[in-house]
Amino acid sequence: MLWLVLFFLAPVVYVAIYSVGGIKLFPMDTGVISLDDWSRFLGGGSIYLSLFWKSVRMSLTVSIAVVLLAYPVGYFLALVVRKLKYVLLLVIIVPFLTSFLLRVLAWKVMLGDRGVFNSFLVSLHVRPADDPIEWLLYSQFTVMLVLAYAWIPFVALPIFVSLDNLDRSLLEAASDLGCSRFRTFWRVTLPLSLPGLIAGFVFVFVPTIGEFVTPLLVGGTSGYMYGNAIQDLFTRGLDWQTGSVLAMFLLLVVAGLMMIFGRYVQVRSVAAD
Amino acid sequence: MEIATSRSGRILLTVFFWILVVFLYLPIAVLALFSFNDGDPSFPLTGITTHWYGDVLSNHVLTTALFRSTVVATVSSLIAVALGVMTSFALIRRRFLGKPIVSALVFSPLVIPYLVFGISLLLIFTLVDKVLSEAFGVYFGLGLHSVVIGHVVVALPYTILTILPLLERLSVSLDEAAKDLGASPRETFRRVTLPLLMPALISAFLVAFTLSFDEFAIASFLSGSQQTWPVYLFAQLRVPRLLPQLIAVSSVVFLGSLLLILSAEIGRRLAQRRYGAEYSRGGFAA
Repeated sequence: MLWLVLFFLAPVVYVAIYSVGGIKLFPMDTGVISLDDWSRFLGGGSIYLSLFWKSVRMSLTVSIAVVLLAYPVGYFLALVVRKLKYVLLLVIIVPFLTSFLLRVLAWKVMLGDRGVFNSFLVSLHVRPADDPIEWLLYSQFTVMLVLAYAWIPFVALPIFVSLDNLDRSLLEAASDLGCSRFRTFWRVTLPLSLPGLIAGFVFVFVPTIGEFVTPLLVGGTSGYMYGNAIQDLFTRGLDWQTGSVLAMFLLLVVAGLMMIFGRYVQVRSVAAD
Repeated sequence: MEIATSRSGRILLTVFFWILVVFLYLPIAVLALFSFNDGDPSFPLTGITTHWYGDVLSNHVLTTALFRSTVVATVSSLIAVALGVMTSFALIRRRFLGKPIVSALVFSPLVIPYLVFGISLLLIFTLVDKVLSEAFGVYFGLGLHSVVIGHVVVALPYTILTILPLLERLSVSLDEAAKDLGASPRETFRRVTLPLLMPALISAFLVAFTLSFDEFAIASFLSGSQQTWPVYLFAQLRVPRLLPQLIAVSSVVFLGSLLLILSAEIGRRLAQRRYGAEYSRGGFAA
């Protein structure tokens, strides 16, 4: 408990204080408490704010795509497969548990100008050697592809759990009452699995919005995201105060999301049921 | 009648499922394939070789980074499991004021962006060093110790999530029986509770270990000059000459984490069978 207070709570609170200039860490820090950095960040025309919205758009796209892809998987495993349910679930989950960085690296190797995919096309004589498909790597598309790839397993899990806990007799009842399969799905199954769906959505959206590793590796300049801006402010720009403002803002957004959707995200039912 | 799907829907879903499995595993399989390719990672394949694996062994910086990550992962997982046991006990067997707040605090590292957490720690370590060096002329700087501190925080909720369900089902009467038979509290813990908890502790350790071993965001801010494996990997990705070597190590690391995860999962299943109780139902301590 003490460990958490010392090394988790204290640092976060400290960043909040630092972001309003409450602490003088470097000679160039003003040491005066003011909301200047905050108002500059939130004010009109701030590049960071527009970058934030760009990241929100990208994360939203990824989250929706991932939920759409993961739902059939959860449905398949929970309601269609009879034997080997958990083995197949494990097959889907395992990639998620291995190194994130390595999976991004794998895509980088796959999609480069002279990478696996392009050189494969060249050796099949589908494309000439001097004309690779360039947008495969270092684009917004790549970032979203890799993020979606990385998070599908994790989203399939809560959807699976909610569908698996569904009372089958409800489905039978709907069918006995004359519902078609589609109608049963639309009126019974989908609404009942909504908590899992929302949990899955939050599970992708929250981590991807602060993502900075994937854009760095496969995003190039057009894939630059909000998280990269934060990292740059700390590692290159050395404007830690602005960086703190950006980081705190991200934390507040995430905290807000968790407050709204928290009741759907039953950590324990998903992670260690 | 099958209600969930029609026959064609069933086929469609099956096909979709396996396409997705291929999509999930293909990049990793390709990575492993090219770790044996005698040349750049691009088609056409130019011959089979294992010399990238040999190069890895003679790359001192790389092996040092791997060693550092192993140390960090071991130390931080041990601490995280120890703290996890204590917290789980407190959450289940004790009543105290502000329990909901404590449990919210314990699980919040699950959702904090690691980027934000990493820089928070970076800032506070900088402050501590500044104060210490002004007052006493000493400072800790950044390094493996700061990475360990960060990894313990993020691993803690995972270890608790692994230990809690088992602890919940362990009957308090076992402890009481031990006490009645004359065991001291320490002896009870060591000879009754701990052995019963062992499977959960081992899988908690493995989960924390894999988490820490691969963690990049926090380590990148806190490792200073002592690069851990993911930080090293990330930094070296810009050097094309090293790429085949990196792919080779990555394949090994990938295989290693696969084995760890599977053994953790199998351990859980065995424990489940041993106690008969349905304490984990298809649980993946992700």
